[in-house]
Amino acid sequence: MSEASMIGLLTAAVSFGALLYLAALGELISEKAGILNLGVEGMMAMGAVTGFMVALETENAWLALIVAMLVGALFALIHGLFTVVLGAEQVVSGLSLTILGLGLAAFVGKNAVGRPPGAVLAPVDWGGLSDIPWVGPILFSQSPIVYFAIFCGVVTSFVLTRTSTGLALRGAGESASTVDASGHSVVQLRLGAVAMGGALAGAAGAYLTLCLTPQWTEGVTAGRGWIAVALVIFGAWRPGRCAIGALLFGGLLALKTRLQTFGVDLSPILLSMIPYVLTIGVLIVISIRARNRPSSSPAALGQAYRREER
Amino acid sequence: MGRLVLTRREQTLRGGQPLAFLIGIVTALSIGILLLVISGHDPMAVYERMFDSSVGSPKSWSLTLNRAVPLGLAGLAVAVAGSMGLWNIGAEGQILAGAMMAAWIARIGEGWPSPLLITVMLLAAISGGALLGLGPAIARAQIGVNEIITTLMLNEVALRLLQWLIHGPWKDPESKGFPLAPMLPGEARLPDLFERAHWGAVIALIVIALFGLVASKTAWGYELRVAGSSGETARFAGISLKRKIMTVLVLSGGIAGLAGGIELSGNADRIVEGVSGGYGFAGIIVAALALMRPSGVAAVALLFGAVQVGGLSIQTMGVSSSVSTILQALILFGAIGAGVFSRYTLKRVRKEQDSIKAEPNE
Repeated sequence: MSEASMIGLLTAAVSFGALLYLAALGELISEKAGILNLGVEGMMAMGAVTGFMVALETENAWLALIVAMLVGALFALIHGLFTVVLGAEQVVSGLSLTILGLGLAAFVGKNAVGRPPGAVLAPVDWGGLSDIPWVGPILFSQSPIVYFAIFCGVVTSFVLTRTSTGLALRGAGESASTVDASGHSVVQLRLGAVAMGGALAGAAGAYLTLCLTPQWTEGVTAGRGWIAVALVIFGAWRPGRCAIGALLFGGLLALKTRLQTFGVDLSPILLSMIPYVLTIGVLIVISIRARNRPSSSPAALGQAYRREER
Repeated sequence: MGRLVLTRREQTLRGGQPLAFLIGIVTALSIGILLLVISGHDPMAVYERMFDSSVGSPKSWSLTLNRAVPLGLAGLAVAVAGSMGLWNIGAEGQILAGAMMAAWIARIGEGWPSPLLITVMLLAAISGGALLGLGPAIARAQIGVNEIITTLMLNEVALRLLQWLIHGPWKDPESKGFPLAPMLPGEARLPDLFERAHWGAVIALIVIALFGLVASKTAWGYELRVAGSSGETARFAGISLKRKIMTVLVLSGGIAGLAGGIELSGNADRIVEGVSGGYGFAGIIVAALALMRPSGVAAVALLFGAVQVGGLSIQTMGVSSSVSTILQALILFGAIGAGVFSRYTLKRVRKEQDSIKAEPNE
């Protein structure tokens, strides 16, 4: 195992990890407010196709990213409309959102398949910092979205734990009627959280087509939306732990194509099972612990709230 | 002045769900027209082709039926769990598990007489799906682990397992390096019913009808509904919730597994990654539209089968087959939206009333 290949692995772990982290943070915010959104895969696909198409038209990668986030947020609000406003079953609505998103993205992007990208997000130039051994290439040669993901993680953690909005948002996911009685609008809080979730999933999608694999193909999201859903549980609904999980799962994704380089005789396919198996394991541990002390999952997760029926 | 508030109707509108379903279809078709016009296609020509290719002739009916089989069984699998208020999001993986078990039997059962081989394949498929349902069932019944997430995660695990088999142990030495499993023997193929349709349709219909009967006519079915509506009541009535949860989730997995076995034996030349074809996820929509009722599942599955066959047929017109995916999701959203109004009505609430309403009134 050479030093160069080790650095390569860690660099890729950070860039894949950021992709998963963005989408997972979005899901975390949504779930904290009590809304389970299984539409991540679809929202990512919408962000991916939007980002790529806008970049093709305008050759402006930043604009592409912003539009992808907006589209992601608007798309997520479909889930918001049905689950938050109309009180529909969150599982059904979310999965339909995934199906709708994958379908719409394929439909919209039909003529963009195989085209070279209009613009890509180039790595940030940190000057001398990127020359530091190990740390330089791993942390200071990444695309701007990686730093954006870290920034989002810090902000999310701060807002959720240190601000009144964050407190109200978490309240909406724990006990909606209490938050309602305290004068906050449960509907607004939840819609806002769902839209944020969509924006971050959209950003993750755009990160795929503007940076990681700068082209559009149907199925470019390749199940990463599901890993993001897993990551939220793996991280026990905490932004910090999710970041560690994202690095771990990102590392596994990065390791997949590098197994042979490291001389490991294991099928890369079996390796890619690990995140899902680990998540099941973590969920079981969480459930066993929850018998003796408060569960880490939001108490009202998955429950519709109607004021008249509380 | 004031704002609109959803208020529960005194009584749910009768015939609400079929009507909501219809509204869903109309909504989906309308939005579909919009999409097609924007992308420069003639919507009426596209819809006509979809209609003709899916229900326009005996042959097109046979194609629709073949797709309705896995959709209906997956829908039933979700509905079985749903009748107790549980979510099986793992039908996609259970279909794969069923197909894998069936393919394994086809490998070791070479030379068996066809009826025997097919029977064993389908039984193995049921056990494969049931096995994948068993884990989440135990976890839910014994420790209370959320079955939504475990079943969802196992989808990905089952998919990786199949990929590994195809890339490794099951790789056909004659496939010139391509990751392909060998062709199934002719004896493993389900016989034809008419045109392209195979006997899977009959099997699926029997299974759906059987569950419908058991659920509505037997004490077991009654207990299931009691347990689904209120765990508290069930405990008073002496119904073992744990056992019910176990039975229902394993049964649900088994039914999805059967779908995989039939799909492999009826529609595939060899086992491939795409054998589950999104049926497991579509089955959740099917079950939701059918309000978890077996009779409804069969009807919705038939419609979705037709939409899927139609979607494939328009590719030759230069239209993406994803139109059918979009339509299926839109039917559901349209129907949920309409369904809400069979239970709720919009009332205009005046400002003063609203502020009174906002007071905590416990």
